[in-house]
Amino acid sequence: MSEYSINASAINISFDGVHILHDVDFKVKAGEVHALVGTNGAGKSTLVKIINGVYKKDSGTISIFGKDLEYNTPEEALKAGIAMVFQDLSLIPSLTVAQNIFLQTHPYRKGLLIDDRKAGENAKELLSMIGVDTEISINDKVEDLSVGKQQIIEIAKALSHNPKVLILDEPTASLSSAEIESLFTVIETLKKKGISIIYITHYLQDIFKICDSLTLIRDGKIIFREDTIDINLKYLVDAMAGGESESISWNRKKAMRSGTPLLELKDLNTEKIKNIDLKIYPGEIVGIAGLLGSGRSELLETLFGIEKLRTGKILVNGKAVDISSSSKAIDEGITLVPENRREQGLVLDFAVEDNIVMSIINRLKKFIVVDREKTGKIANHYIQSLNVKTQGPGQVVRYLSGGNQQKIVVAKCLASDSKILLLDDPTFGVDIHAKHEIMKIIMDYASKGNGVLFISSEFKEIAGFCDSIYIMKKGRLTEFLSEDVSEDDLLLKVQ
Amino acid sequence: MTNRLKEIKWREHVIYFIFTGIILLFSVLLFDRGFLTGSNLMNIARQTAMISIMAVGMTFVLAAEEIDLSFGSVVALAAIITAQVLRATGSIILAILAGLLVGAIIGIINGLFVAKVGIPSFLVTLGMSGIILGTARWVSHLQSIPINNDTFTFIFGSGDIGPVPVLFIWMILAGSLGHLVLKKTPFGRKVLATGGNKISALYSGIKVSRMKMSVMVINSVLAAFAGILYTGRLHGARYTLGTNEVMIVIAAVIIGGTSMFGGKGSVIGSVIGALIMGILNNGLILLGLSVDQQMIFRGLIIIIAVSLTMREKKG
Ligand SMILES: Nc1ncnc2c1ncn2[C@@H]1O[C@H](COP(=O)(O)OP(=O)(O)OP(=O)(O)O)[C@@H](O)[C@H]1O
Ligand SMILES: [Mg+2]
Repeated sequence: MSEYSINASAINISFDGVHILHDVDFKVKAGEVHALVGTNGAGKSTLVKIINGVYKKDSGTISIFGKDLEYNTPEEALKAGIAMVFQDLSLIPSLTVAQNIFLQTHPYRKGLLIDDRKAGENAKELLSMIGVDTEISINDKVEDLSVGKQQIIEIAKALSHNPKVLILDEPTASLSSAEIESLFTVIETLKKKGISIIYITHYLQDIFKICDSLTLIRDGKIIFREDTIDINLKYLVDAMAGGESESISWNRKKAMRSGTPLLELKDLNTEKIKNIDLKIYPGEIVGIAGLLGSGRSELLETLFGIEKLRTGKILVNGKAVDISSSSKAIDEGITLVPENRREQGLVLDFAVEDNIVMSIINRLKKFIVVDREKTGKIANHYIQSLNVKTQGPGQVVRYLSGGNQQKIVVAKCLASDSKILLLDDPTFGVDIHAKHEIMKIIMDYASKGNGVLFISSEFKEIAGFCDSIYIMKKGRLTEFLSEDVSEDDLLLKVQ
Repeated sequence: MTNRLKEIKWREHVIYFIFTGIILLFSVLLFDRGFLTGSNLMNIARQTAMISIMAVGMTFVLAAEEIDLSFGSVVALAAIITAQVLRATGSIILAILAGLLVGAIIGIINGLFVAKVGIPSFLVTLGMSGIILGTARWVSHLQSIPINNDTFTFIFGSGDIGPVPVLFIWMILAGSLGHLVLKKTPFGRKVLATGGNKISALYSGIKVSRMKMSVMVINSVLAAFAGILYTGRLHGARYTLGTNEVMIVIAAVIIGGTSMFGGKGSVIGSVIGALIMGILNNGLILLGLSVDQQMIFRGLIIIIAVSLTMREKKG
């Protein structure tokens, strides 16, 4: 038997005539955690989808434990021992945890019927194996669980097939730090059982925490395969982009909180948030540090007219405004980069350019028709400045990589030319280089006298990037910080 | 995967192949029975015009991820009201306005229930179709209402300008206008965005409920206009008008490449889909099939054509 659980060699694939993976060799040892690293659109998801049988490779071979195998569907891959947790969750919200875990397998039958009790017992066993049986009950409806717990359920579902290889495509992107820690423990447990794990992430520090080795992919070509202990973070960051990277530093602008605030909230109350008082001054980037479920997203959605305001006042430039719908918010110069790009941010079957101009479509009229030329110009501007990897403004967004889809959402909001930008985790799934680009653009935007309200699941970003910070807990703003804080301070404060 | 992409592209254009294929087929099969003669083609145009016009409206509805099952009875009621007003007042303008008003009012009622109350359009319009048809039967006492205003019948259905039937002109007008609005204007883009992903449309500041309202009104008004044209063409109105056309119109739109799942629509495709339906009808009659055989064949061909053109489900 080979020491490699997966040994893919000379893999090629093209989409629509565009060559995406070039002679890719990719190996994972049995029982190791192996990271797959690269910038947005490098081909990571594509490669693991080939390994998982979702895409059919044009050429190349895959051998599993030394045996060459041909398979073309995820079902066959499962049989060969490969299971995958997708970048976008695939659970059915209205079903229970147990029902979801055994959705495809439902091996527990009594004649024609599903043996729910047996399935339940087995689900419980799985949950206890990954050490979460105290927090998650098998009879919970999936829709009532946090994203983090759903992620764990996805993993349990994948494990129900007894895989030898488990693929995780950006599993931590929407998790809180506590949930990430428990995921890491789960990964350790699985590794001890001899399961290989392919781990895709843009959080490069995590790689040095939990991965044994890594493969770097750039523009569809493998650059190197190394053991993690042989390289360091800086080396990896530079190698990703294929050159020295510049680092950005943000100088905190202090003592700017005077005069008329650009945005002022007075005692805002909705179903989920209570007594919110907040001010953003022109030129300021204000952060909200809070855990998932602290009400931070609801606050932004209230300011964008999505959540219903019960009492309280919203003032723009000192003037009370009515924001009872998203179109009114946009009229007042407020835009939101929403939390969930696929559900809230994009029309997946629209072209890149149509998505980018979606909030300003009314302003793009020439006579009565949409001005295509101007549309194209705006789209091309953002494709360049955000370095979006796409075949062109006419490409359908569905076929962009996850990180590039996120860039389109950011572009759409920047294009709307508003005075106040609400950012709900704007760099979700975006690689470190593009993240810097986005940050630079946002700083630039703020320095023109605009205001930014910023949420991130990475407290490091908030600590390093915001001029002032509000702490949010259980629907309330509990503290205001205008002095320098560290990531760890924030972590403590939000608990 | 590469294959699947190619397949999607092919599916988008398959309608034109079907269209050409059916014309070629009938041209050969029916060569000696006058299928290709000018008068028969104009005849097809006359028979297809109303279907096309309704299909234009339905394209907007489906593109916004809604459905309307009530438009068939709108045809009947609008036709009856138009005919009655015309008989009572002798004014063509009043008659037309009354007919269109019927469509607009029903569209607004449909739209209110769908957009504001939030009832699925399938249920709202299914219920409405009963109400409207009942009203049509009641106000017409199940009688035909004959019309003998020559100007009216000429403009709205029976006239020819040179060799071209006015119905054909109405059809081209509705098709071009619909195409322009759906593909080129901000309004059309917002309709497609609403159907493509209504949450993200909402987050983009698009007034989603207003879009839904608008498509329901557009569809009803166009159905009412089709009712007016039926009245002009048949020199009278009757409560049976339109109801048999509901499925044909929806099939024409789907064959034309508009997605039942919203977000994607082609007015030109719908008009061609309607022409396919018309040609099919005409060809099957010329072939000498009995009515039962025609029904069976038409059903079969619709299923085959729809499965060839239907886009894969989102995923
Ligand atoms: N189904 C598809 N059709 C056409 N192009 C595709 C398809 N899937 C992926 N691509 C293209 O292949 C390239 C690689 O995409 P992939 O999703 O593998 O990137 P990734 O490395 O996972 O990026 P990210 O970090 O943003 O998730 C991208 O340029 C993308 O546009
Ligand atoms: Mg990816």
